[in-house]
Amino acid sequence: MTEKLSVEIRKENGKHAARRLRRSGNIPAVLYGHKEETVPLTIKGEDLSRVMRHGARFVELIGAVSDTALIREMQWDTYGVELLHVDFARVSADERVRREVAIELRGEAPGVRAGGVVQLILHSVDIECPAMAIPDKLQLNINHLELEGVLRVSDLSPPENVTILTDKESVVVQCVVPLEMPEEAAPAAEAIEPELIGRKAEPEEGEEGVEEK
Amino acid sequence: MPLMPKRVKHRKSQRGRIKGKATRGNRVVFGEFGLQTLQGGWVSAATLEAARVAATQYLRNEGRLFIRVFPHKPITSIPLETRMGKGKGEPEYWAAVVKPGTVLFELGGVGADAARICLSRMAHKLPVKVRLIKRQTA
Repeated sequence: MTEKLSVEIRKENGKHAARRLRRSGNIPAVLYGHKEETVPLTIKGEDLSRVMRHGARFVELIGAVSDTALIREMQWDTYGVELLHVDFARVSADERVRREVAIELRGEAPGVRAGGVVQLILHSVDIECPAMAIPDKLQLNINHLELEGVLRVSDLSPPENVTILTDKESVVVQCVVPLEMPEEAAPAAEAIEPELIGRKAEPEEGEEGVEEK
Repeated sequence: MPLMPKRVKHRKSQRGRIKGKATRGNRVVFGEFGLQTLQGGWVSAATLEAARVAATQYLRNEGRLFIRVFPHKPITSIPLETRMGKGKGEPEYWAAVVKPGTVLFELGGVGADAARICLSRMAHKLPVKVRLIKRQTA
């Protein structure tokens, strides 16, 4: 079922107006696409939180604007806590859209029991699908991933109507022998200075260089 | 051995000022979990190394650790009981300049519980306040 989101037209533009809006618990947004007019909007923060909690990506805008839209982009603050702005792109329900979808690993790799470590190389893939049927994530079964084995994008099994746009040969996950990392810091015998760019050692001083002083 | 540049243009640098928040390097991009600073400051190469060793001892070759900052800045100091003047001191150590919001370390290939314990052990080594963050899903 499509989530409904009540919106109002935003009359004021600019950072000061946007900050005032955020202080009052609202989020500035914009609606564009389908070669129609771009409309600045305001959404109540709690309404948007509800939509995000349900993981909706395709929403029906009601109120000042009646349209169906895709959440194209969300802007967050430095810490990724406060939502600053939302972009809505006009789409119809049966229109095919391009999205980035996360990959989730399922199962337990036999390679781990053999002493390997599973490394997720590709965290998300680009897909094309109907706007109404965007999957939350694509699952990849790693129950057959042996040591030194890899699974590629072609091993993903997307739902019906979903086309993967990422290169099929890209490695998604691999099971490798863990690298031995030095546990303890080696004691610094002497302070080593980096080489100076553009400063050359004099030939008669040999290897001692000019940084000796 | 602590991190330091291989080649530099100048041996010493001015102290500088940390203004604003991090607008780059403030999201988890390589692993699944990360340590994000809430304060700005200098994180020395020795501190980064101490945090790395703490993580390695806990992880025991499981998962993968990513160090997202590099100590590019030479920090100088003058010796004790030295009279004022006679120029700038000698480089003592190298530090990474971090703004609030910078992701210092990332962890991948481990579960949420292990990552929380590991990153909290690393946080104890750091001179800035940090918080644990997860990767934002696409």
